Amino acid sequence: MRKRIIIRITLIVVLILIGISLYTIGKEHKVLIDNKGISIGGITYNADTTYKVWVDNLEIGLLEKGERNVAKVAGTSHKIVIEETKDKVLTGEKHEKRFKLKTNEGATINIPAIVNNANEWINKKYIGGE
Amino acid sequence: MKKQNLTRTMNPYVKFFIDYSVPIIIALLVAFAIPLSGLSGKYFIKELTIRLSRNSFLILALLIPVMAGMGMNFGIVLGAMAGEIGLIFVTDWLIVGLPGMLLAMLISTPIAILLGYFAGIVLNRAKGREMVTGFMLGFFMNGIYQLVVLYGMGNIIPISNSNILLPRGYGIRNAISLIGIRQVMDKFIPLKIGGILIPIGTLLVIATLCVFIVWFKKTKLGQDMRTVGQDNDIARASGINVEKTRILSIVISTVLACYGQIIFLQNIGTMNTYNSHEQVGVFAIAALLVGGASVAKASIFNVFVGVILFHTMFVVSPRAGKELIGQAQLGEYFRVFVSYGVIAFSLALYAWRKRVEKENERRKVMAFKRVLLQNNNTTGGDKL
Repeated sequence: MRKRIIIRITLIVVLILIGISLYTIGKEHKVLIDNKGISIGGITYNADTTYKVWVDNLEIGLLEKGERNVAKVAGTSHKIVIEETKDKVLTGEKHEKRFKLKTNEGATINIPAIVNNANEWINKKYIGGE
Repeated sequence: MKKQNLTRTMNPYVKFFIDYSVPIIIALLVAFAIPLSGLSGKYFIKELTIRLSRNSFLILALLIPVMAGMGMNFGIVLGAMAGEIGLIFVTDWLIVGLPGMLLAMLISTPIAILLGYFAGIVLNRAKGREMVTGFMLGFFMNGIYQLVVLYGMGNIIPISNSNILLPRGYGIRNAISLIGIRQVMDKFIPLKIGGILIPIGTLLVIATLCVFIVWFKKTKLGQDMRTVGQDNDIARASGINVEKTRILSIVISTVLACYGQIIFLQNIGTMNTYNSHEQVGVFAIAALLVGGASVAKASIFNVFVGVILFHTMFVVSPRAGKELIGQAQLGEYFRVFVSYGVIAFSLALYAWRKRVEKENERRKVMAFKRVLLQNNNTTGGDKL
């Protein structure tokens, strides 16, 4: 009887843990990608060209200067890759950054900040409910 | 008297026709409608593949209660409701992809178990009238579901996603987009043959369920269910807890139906919050009966024959109707008519067969008694 109770409790705990991990892996995050000028610590980084953007190997598209796009990603660990384009032709100049998001977090990523290796290229913010 | 002769001297071909009258009639109808519809072979195969993967799981959920002698489980509607509640939560929490679908299954499992247990208790109190009771139970539970979803969610149960909430701040919208989990299982292992997407992921899950059912029949519980299905009194005399076994069969069926509804809705990609589950029972049962199953006997083979025939009719009948009289609406009416008609016909056929069997049994007993009496008269009479 006691053994049975222990097995049942273990099963319930395992199911709850599976549920939590599914929640974490499957949680969708909104990532805004800006190709706009930004001021960080008194230094201004200007957007001066068009970039092609991939988030988690998924093509987001071309972002001209002053434009913003949104990527919806699931899970905690992500990767953004941007490649400069000139006259709609990829130049081969790539920048790659990795970032992590907590379950209720969204983020805004700034391309000029990534290109200039600024520390604050990502701005994470808590999103409770939509 | 004529009826008695018919059943007594029934030749095997007539018996085969009576046993499989529903699939034979539907097969003839389909054979007549396919050329009329003018659909291309590719379109037809594509539609049939989608429908096979979309519906098979739900229909397989009906097999276990048949094994336990509880007839067609109209109560699978309860499982479908549980599945929808799970989907509402994952949509609210923005859980996408396969994890979202699995989480919906995980959340809805305890709800389905609870509803199945409740249904099992009710059906135990209505032995012999399980099907009509299950049908009514579906309507009753639909009311409670609507109360919870329309008034409870957003009020008592926290829902924060404004995309699924009604503008008044509580209650779920009439239609929910399941774009986050749309076809995630179907496209889990992507395979295209001749431009047709083969939903390998879903078909594998269906195959696993088939294996589970075959294995389950061989287990102690499966054997108990078969015994209960054959005769309650004999099962009880053999030490089987009949009531518990019947409840278990309904719980398993409800949980499977819950998963079936999630698989069904992930394929469609939209959930009609207040209507998606309503017709689930009727269409699943009609498909199983079209496959040659009866209230007392159903197999995996019946499921697949049923899905193919029933859904072929679904695909071709609107176009055939349009070609015949210029109105696709006729096909729509026709398929609803056939769904209900098939159930009514199968139930009537089953009742008739039962009556004839009982009558034959009675006649056999009478004949046996007559022989005994005659023997007594010839042997015992001399003694007297």
